[in-house]
Amino acid sequence: MAQKGSRDGTYEVTEDMDAIEFYFEQGVTDGLPVVPPTEERVQRMLAATSRAADDVMALVPPNFGAATVEKIAVNAVMAGCKPEYLPVVMAGVEAMCDERVSLHGVQGTTHTSTPLFIINGPIRHRLDINCAAGVFGSGWRANATIGRALRLMMVNLGGARPGEIDKSCMGHPGKFSFLIGEYEEMNPWEPLHVERGFAPDQSALSVYCCDAPQCLTNNAGRTAASILNTIGAAMATGWNDKTMLAGSYMLVMSPEHAKTIADNGLSKQDVKRYLYEHVRRPLGELLPTPEDPEGFNVARLPKWLDPADATTLVPKVLSPEAIILVVAGGTAGRFTLQMTGWGGGSGTQLVTVPIEDG
Amino acid sequence: MVKLYDPTAAPTQNATPLASRVTDLNGKVIGMLDISKPNGNYFLDRLAERIQADFQPKRIIRTMKPTFTRPAPEEVRKELEQQCDMVIEALAD
Repeated sequence: MAQKGSRDGTYEVTEDMDAIEFYFEQGVTDGLPVVPPTEERVQRMLAATSRAADDVMALVPPNFGAATVEKIAVNAVMAGCKPEYLPVVMAGVEAMCDERVSLHGVQGTTHTSTPLFIINGPIRHRLDINCAAGVFGSGWRANATIGRALRLMMVNLGGARPGEIDKSCMGHPGKFSFLIGEYEEMNPWEPLHVERGFAPDQSALSVYCCDAPQCLTNNAGRTAASILNTIGAAMATGWNDKTMLAGSYMLVMSPEHAKTIADNGLSKQDVKRYLYEHVRRPLGELLPTPEDPEGFNVARLPKWLDPADATTLVPKVLSPEAIILVVAGGTAGRFTLQMTGWGGGSGTQLVTVPIEDG
Repeated sequence: MVKLYDPTAAPTQNATPLASRVTDLNGKVIGMLDISKPNGNYFLDRLAERIQADFQPKRIIRTMKPTFTRPAPEEVRKELEQQCDMVIEALAD
């Protein structure tokens, strides 16, 4: 909702007004101070794009507030973005509002889910987007502020204020910022954007709505199977341990894990197929009981599985394509992060868009 | 005076007025929408039983969204809109 006192998208305040406090009072921050979007700062941000300020990039659900180029610039300034980050922010808005992402549902869910943004291509180096050690953490201006700008818009344009339309029971630490670069240089396989049909030197942004990362450690394993079994055991508990044939999973593998698996002769597709085939559970263990009504709905069993046999192994996911694999993080550390995608059945999908001027 | 920018935008969709309330279930076509969340079907089964026992509706129409993650498909919405006097939706788990 356009705030009271805002006329044509701007406020007139006295010079002695504390602008940082003003924006807290407007209820448009993420709880941290924002950079006041003055005329000078907004115009400097707008100069980074050739698009017109009143161009509508997307309507942000669930309120479908218009993300004009101007509104994107304003939120980007508030987040602390440099003007050269604007094309990435704009790509993020376009991607997250794609209907396949189901942002509408993610914005209102009681679940713990928020869009994760993944950056590929040369723009990572141009803007110093962290892909390596500390990739999911703080300290890099591009990661922190681009992710933050997008989150601010989910609230300020989409209307998903926590505790109001945003009904997330637990929230999500990524609701400050949740953006990484893929460490393509340490990826033994094709990077995510190439897998999705883009040229290697075309910068791209992918968005995927998921919960917070779970860190899996496998230090001693020197085979693909050892590492993938560790990962699979965690994937088995996505949503809960009795939810099967549903959802999708994002795996962010450290360079060390990726190297061991690739050296063992496995492609990305082999990794996905291995997990699809191995992360399974006997039907007899999945059914609701009087003591525990949580369980798998047998009515949803596909025809190729035998509902009469309790030893029938039910896959966690519908197909290997439900698993997404990205390489990022420091070169020292044998870890993989696992994140469960939102929406059990046919929920969120990963969407990749090009970054203009990228 | 200093000019500062407003980062918010008004909701685009127009407010939808509330439909008039049905006060008597007798003789009505009642739609039931299952959004594919766990146990929604049992809830609607019990509700349908109670309605049939306590009233004489003209008909009860059961519909279902294929997934809770997206709005109901056009054909489901049309069926409810065109055929029903009221709709009961089973939300949540």
